[in-house]
Amino acid sequence: MAEHDLSKRIIAYLDRHLSFPLLTHLVETHLFPAEQVTQAQYELARGTNMFDYAVTLFQQIHPDQQVPPEFEEKKQNAVSTHERLQQEALAVLNVIENPDVAQALRQDKNQNLQFLKDNYNLTLAQITALYNFGQFQYSYGNYSGAADYLYHFRVLSTDADLTTSAHWGKLASDILTGKWDTALEELNTLRDLIDSRSSASILAAAAAATASGASHDKAEPALVQLHSRTWLVHWSLFIHFNHAQGRTLLLETFLAPTYLNTIQTACPWILRYLTAAAILSRKVSSTSSASNPVSSRVRNAIREIVKVIQLEEYQYSDPVTAFLKELYVEFDFEAAQQELKKAEEVVKNDFFLGDFREEFLDNARYLISEAYCRIHQRIDIRDLSLRLNLSPDEGEKWIVNLIRGTRMGADAKIDLEKNMIEINRPALPVYQSVIEKTRGLALRTQALGAAISRSGQNHSQSQQQQPQRDGGETKLEGQQPIVVN
Amino acid sequence: MSRFFRQAGDSDSDTEESEDELMSSGDELPKQTTSTTTSTKPAMSRFLRTAGSDSSSESSEEEESDSDSDVPQRRRAGLPLRDESDEEESDDEDKPAARILSAQERRLAEMESTGKVISNGLKNDDWVAISNEFDKLSRMVQRQQNVSEPIPPFFIKSLLSLDTSIKNALADKDAKKKLTATKAKALTAMKQKIKKALKEHESEVVKFQKDPDGFEREYQAAIVVAAPSQPSIPSQKIANQQDDDEEFSTVGKGGRVVQFTSEGVLKNLQAVQEARGKKNTDRTEQIRILEKSLEVAATTYQRIRVLLALISSRFDFNSSASSHMPAELWLSAQQEVDQLVSIVASDTKYSVQEIVDDYDELVERTPQSEGGIVRIRGSIISFIDRLDDEFTRTLQHIDPHGTEYVERLKDEKVLYCTICRAQAFYEQTRQDEPLGRVIMRRLEHIYSKPNPVVQALEQAADASDTKPGTVLSDLGTSSALVHALCVFLYKSGNSLLRTRAMLSHIYHHALHNDFYTARDMLLMSHLQESIHSADVATQILYNRTIVQLGLCAFRSGLIKEAQATLQEIFTTQRVKELLAQGVHQQRFQTLSPEQEKAEKQRMLPFHMHINTELLEAAFLVSSMLVEIPLLASIDSEEQKRKAISKPFRRLLDFADRQVFTGPPESTRDHIMQASKALQDGDWEKCRDLIQSIKIWSLMPEAASVKEMLAKRIQEQGLRTYLFTYAPHYATLSLSLLSRTFSLSLRTVTSIISKMIWNEEVAASLDQASGVIVFHRIELSRPQQLAQVIADKLNTMVEQNEKTLDSKFGTSSTWAERADGNKGEKREQLQERRGRGERSRGARGGARGGRGARFSQGLGNQMGQITQRAG
Repeated sequence: MAEHDLSKRIIAYLDRHLSFPLLTHLVETHLFPAEQVTQAQYELARGTNMFDYAVTLFQQIHPDQQVPPEFEEKKQNAVSTHERLQQEALAVLNVIENPDVAQALRQDKNQNLQFLKDNYNLTLAQITALYNFGQFQYSYGNYSGAADYLYHFRVLSTDADLTTSAHWGKLASDILTGKWDTALEELNTLRDLIDSRSSASILAAAAAATASGASHDKAEPALVQLHSRTWLVHWSLFIHFNHAQGRTLLLETFLAPTYLNTIQTACPWILRYLTAAAILSRKVSSTSSASNPVSSRVRNAIREIVKVIQLEEYQYSDPVTAFLKELYVEFDFEAAQQELKKAEEVVKNDFFLGDFREEFLDNARYLISEAYCRIHQRIDIRDLSLRLNLSPDEGEKWIVNLIRGTRMGADAKIDLEKNMIEINRPALPVYQSVIEKTRGLALRTQALGAAISRSGQNHSQSQQQQPQRDGGETKLEGQQPIVVN
Repeated sequence: MSRFFRQAGDSDSDTEESEDELMSSGDELPKQTTSTTTSTKPAMSRFLRTAGSDSSSESSEEEESDSDSDVPQRRRAGLPLRDESDEEESDDEDKPAARILSAQERRLAEMESTGKVISNGLKNDDWVAISNEFDKLSRMVQRQQNVSEPIPPFFIKSLLSLDTSIKNALADKDAKKKLTATKAKALTAMKQKIKKALKEHESEVVKFQKDPDGFEREYQAAIVVAAPSQPSIPSQKIANQQDDDEEFSTVGKGGRVVQFTSEGVLKNLQAVQEARGKKNTDRTEQIRILEKSLEVAATTYQRIRVLLALISSRFDFNSSASSHMPAELWLSAQQEVDQLVSIVASDTKYSVQEIVDDYDELVERTPQSEGGIVRIRGSIISFIDRLDDEFTRTLQHIDPHGTEYVERLKDEKVLYCTICRAQAFYEQTRQDEPLGRVIMRRLEHIYSKPNPVVQALEQAADASDTKPGTVLSDLGTSSALVHALCVFLYKSGNSLLRTRAMLSHIYHHALHNDFYTARDMLLMSHLQESIHSADVATQILYNRTIVQLGLCAFRSGLIKEAQATLQEIFTTQRVKELLAQGVHQQRFQTLSPEQEKAEKQRMLPFHMHINTELLEAAFLVSSMLVEIPLLASIDSEEQKRKAISKPFRRLLDFADRQVFTGPPESTRDHIMQASKALQDGDWEKCRDLIQSIKIWSLMPEAASVKEMLAKRIQEQGLRTYLFTYAPHYATLSLSLLSRTFSLSLRTVTSIISKMIWNEEVAASLDQASGVIVFHRIELSRPQQLAQVIADKLNTMVEQNEKTLDSKFGTSSTWAERADGNKGEKREQLQERRGRGERSRGARGGARGGRGARFSQGLGNQMGQITQRAG
């Protein structure tokens, strides 16, 4: 199973602190020798200001050795630095927390700055102290404190580079403190920031601030943006698999063209999470109602993902993606079942997916049986149970529940004598299929129209961006042959 | 002695004789001051005559192409007049420096003759004649001044003498009275003119009067300065005539013994360079002279200069664009380029550059005299380019099926070595611009070659003393080598080189069956958008790359991709022309000769060709595998018209119309009959026919390709069978199908399941009895149409949503975040990254361009399935 473990790949795109939970998880899964993992943890901790933790780890690894004196030294340093930074930050904080000031602050940052400078003699350099202190707190593991300071800094600062950096820092802090709602907000703002700005300097700063080691100072803007997106994709995994709405949001985000490109180009292994999320959110997509609209992207998530999996098969495949491929590309239920078995193991051991094992399995079974029933007319219950990795008895129960719980109820009958399910799907009358097909078209078109007119208000240019009616034909036009002459 | 040289010698002695005459007449001229005008005139005309005959004899020699140029003549030149006639000829050509000189000489002679007429007139008191002649003389002097040449002392002398004689004449009243009215008038006019002229040239006159000798010396010096590139002329003017005669005779009598000494090398070079490009220059002789010069060249500077000249004259040897360079000449040129490169590489004090400051071509230069580095005008990279081009051109002209072609092809090795050496040299000297070009040349020699050939080439390059930074032995595989070379070119600023490198790289990947990498690179390069504006050679390379990619897909068993990739080029029906492997025959119009010539020049040499028959076989077979099941599944006429592959459909229709079909002969016959068999569900016959196509043997890994094809035929055969015969069955046993098509039960189930899921057939599986149960509903026409329209509506709405999505980001965001960040969203869309192209294509190809093509197979199919549903 170790070969399907993605920790190594993912950690490369995470902050030092964000990697700790992953490593802790690895200790629990026993995929790798415990000493190695602990060693890795120690190496990781050594680079931070969490000395006590590092020392503990050191003692774990080398129980018989003396703790290196460097820690003590560093600790002293850190304490003094802490003192100093705290003093600096406190000065600013005192001013800001003054209710008068809080009231006087406006939307415009420059104005605020001027105001603070005029009335309280607060300069930009002092405000930067907030950032420094926040960062320092983060480095020794006081994440909530760090989040606070970085928040204040961001409100006040006009320095784009540092603000972006503060964004990342705040996101990391929120993730590590487990405040998923705030983290989600933070994630969204950060995503907008990345998507909106292609200026090299800002993104380079963002990347440099977060990347442990990698510096992209001179890289092209597009490349930097790609890097930032890759980072964001990885970081957002924490949120998406912990937040209640996370899976749907994940599909929403990752299936957007820009992020799908990012995944395909830079980190195809994210496909596992995409696939898993699609399987997990099956119910959401199948039970979409008017009150809870789901975008077409989520509705067709599985179809989309199957295509991507096929495309990227040469780059990346694991049991989770292979399961979907076997099921929807090859329609080889036997192979799908085997893959599901493997996938279950993988999901269980995965840091992000571990909690969703049951749910994943349930949904995957449902997908199998749905596909199976659509193709078959008469099904041996025993056989289907086998396909679902269930014992015959369990299988029967499961199937009955399935039939009861879905629309299939009317068509499918269980024949216990022969131990069969009979699915009698009368072909849809033509008029009904036409209705079925055209259902919702008007609504969708209306939504389109609304969107266009809205954008038309904002930008007169968007007039030109009327949807092309003849998208199918344009495809062919691009393929004019080259004439050599 | 060769015939050439002998004859050259003969004719030379001819000219020498005529010169002898000339000289004697010329010698007489200045002394003839006392003779009458009438006596000088014949002398003049004789001079002109001889000069004319001389030149004609010379040109006739040239026509025989055995005489030599004026090099030796210049060397032996001892005579101003002889030289002058020589120069007169060359006036026709453009040679500014020489022209001035010759004009000067001519004017001088003219002046002298005018002076003589004047002095004659003085004796006769013929003032009218004197006045006329003086006008002439002053006009000449005026011209002399216009070209900013010093006033000859002769003029001043005659001016002074005229002045005195006029004074005398005026003083002598009697004589004056004796004069006729016209003469008297002329005399007064003369007086005025002389006065004016004296005033004009006052300073010179004063100078002359003070020191006549000094003035003359000064004049000579001025002339020497004015003509540094023609040292022979001033020297001969100063030099003793007697000496000249002697020198002349030694050379003349000695026949063709032109003295090649290291001192004379630069002079020879100069002469050759002047003759270069002239109509009557004998190129063989020039090359010979340069070869000799190279032997005697003593210093590095001389060697480089001679080599530069020699290589260019070798390339000049064939002036017409239609013929090619002889092999021997090419080989020696190649060796000389090698030599040049090694000289320049070993001695860093000399550098060959395209743009240098002017320098005196006749002066020997050393690093000491130039302060460090001697810069010489020339361009090694253009030699390399030319060498490579000439090689290609030779191959274009040789019959590719003869042994000569193979022999010639062996020279590629040495050429490759030269290119590598040049690369090493440029790497060493860090000249990025030529380095890029030379690396491109190198890449072009290896990118399309299979591994063993690259290895052979690299081995040869390895053996040479100077090695470039990237060699095969260091990198291991040819792919790594190509990669290294390409990466260098990507980093270089030249966008043309980058494009070509990219295409070569893709081609190389495709050649090595690395389909996905090649495809990704092609799509990320976005070349398909800009290739229409590229130059023809790059377009050809692009076409080749596309075709190779298609073949690669075919070999890897990606039938749909192969079909989609190759289709485009086959729809044009001009495959050969597009790949530059043959001239297109147009039915209704004929190409102009120029067009044809241009096209011929673009043609690739035979060994670079991609076998078009193999290509066609691959295309038609993949078309068959895609098309036949599709045809079988279509039941309405109008859908039938929507062919995926028009060329294939055309052929199939043609084959259908034939009443009698004989046993298959050509590849096409094979494929057409195989298609028929596949349509009938006879997959075994189809397989046999396809596998018996002979051209497969040209494909690498032919056996595995055949195997793959057999498997595909089985699968598609099953699909075709189901489509064709489904209406006639209520149920079909899976095991029967599995037996009929020799497929495992699992595969059969999988294929059928796929078809059911995709709603290609209205059926379901009965697991208990192991059969397919077909549900077929006959639809009435309006029902059908209603279905179709509904589908079309659906796709339209989806298309619209997609477009809006791609314009404004996610659909949920445009619904929710009504007024936020629209502008920023657009920005994000504008930045285009490679994969975007592809994944967008995968979702139905909202945007045009070839990017959509790879997934098009699926997209198309989906579209048709939905349209057919029900």
